Amino acid sequence: MMPDHWGFVAAAYAVTAIILGGYWRMLVRKERELATLGTGTRVRTEAGVGTDPTSRTRQPSETGHPRPEPGSRPPLP
Amino acid sequence: MTTLLGWLAGLGLAAGLAMGFGVAPREVTQGNVQRIMYVHVPAVWVAYLAFTVGLVASIAYLARRRPGVDRLAHAACEVGTVFLGVNIVTGAIWGKPTWGTWWTWDARLTSVAVVFVMFLAYLLLRGAIEDRERGARYAAVLGIVAALNIPLVHFSVYWWRTLHQPPSLLKPGASTIPPVILTALLVNFVALALLGAYFVARRARVLAAEEEALA
Repeated sequence: MMPDHWGFVAAAYAVTAIILGGYWRMLVRKERELATLGTGTRVRTEAGVGTDPTSRTRQPSETGHPRPEPGSRPPLP
Repeated sequence: MTTLLGWLAGLGLAAGLAMGFGVAPREVTQGNVQRIMYVHVPAVWVAYLAFTVGLVASIAYLARRRPGVDRLAHAACEVGTVFLGVNIVTGAIWGKPTWGTWWTWDARLTSVAVVFVMFLAYLLLRGAIEDRERGARYAAVLGIVAALNIPLVHFSVYWWRTLHQPPSLLKPGASTIPPVILTALLVNFVALALLGAYFVARRARVLAAEEEALA
């Protein structure tokens, strides 16, 4: 009869738990990343950013200063 | 549905551990190291099952070109590779005290290693081709070729002289395993199959979300 080798039994179950648990964690992480990406896209779309570039140029700057008219800008050297 | 599968898998795993360590007795010849078989054997059955799903889905994809079927093939082959990895590692851990070696290039172990590498190549191929449709088509062909090797793995112990013992269950004729050990094996198989189904469902959902994000 063979000796018991509990260490090998524990190692086999531990490695199994690490592989399957690691795969499960990878799935959860990917789902979370995709959910964040989806929420970010929705937030940007609701704010009108990233959807229509022409409307974006007509928005006032974040500091509240009006953008200069194209004709008032000095010519490039 | 996916959440329910997850809970059922969790309950199944708890039942499997109880069967493997609480109900099943110490095996007469191998001692307690035989308890590794309650993971090693069901893991390869789940891998076979997942690869079969992948095979059918790959054939269906080549026939109909439906993205949902391709996602199922991708998810099933990936999950099958994970379970085959579990099978190979636990087999090596069992082999050291029983055979005196972690690994030997006998027919069964070599054929399993070949299938494992083929499915790793399948997953690499998926990530390597940018054109999704072309990648799916090539992966479907490789998935079919790789899955067709499974009978070779199963029958290798009959066709060649190997250190690995012949199948105890998936063979013609009555099982020679004591009923209590057989029950423990089957409970663990059901638990890991539920876990595999849960992984496939969740992976397919992630793949669908990834495609949506990229579109």
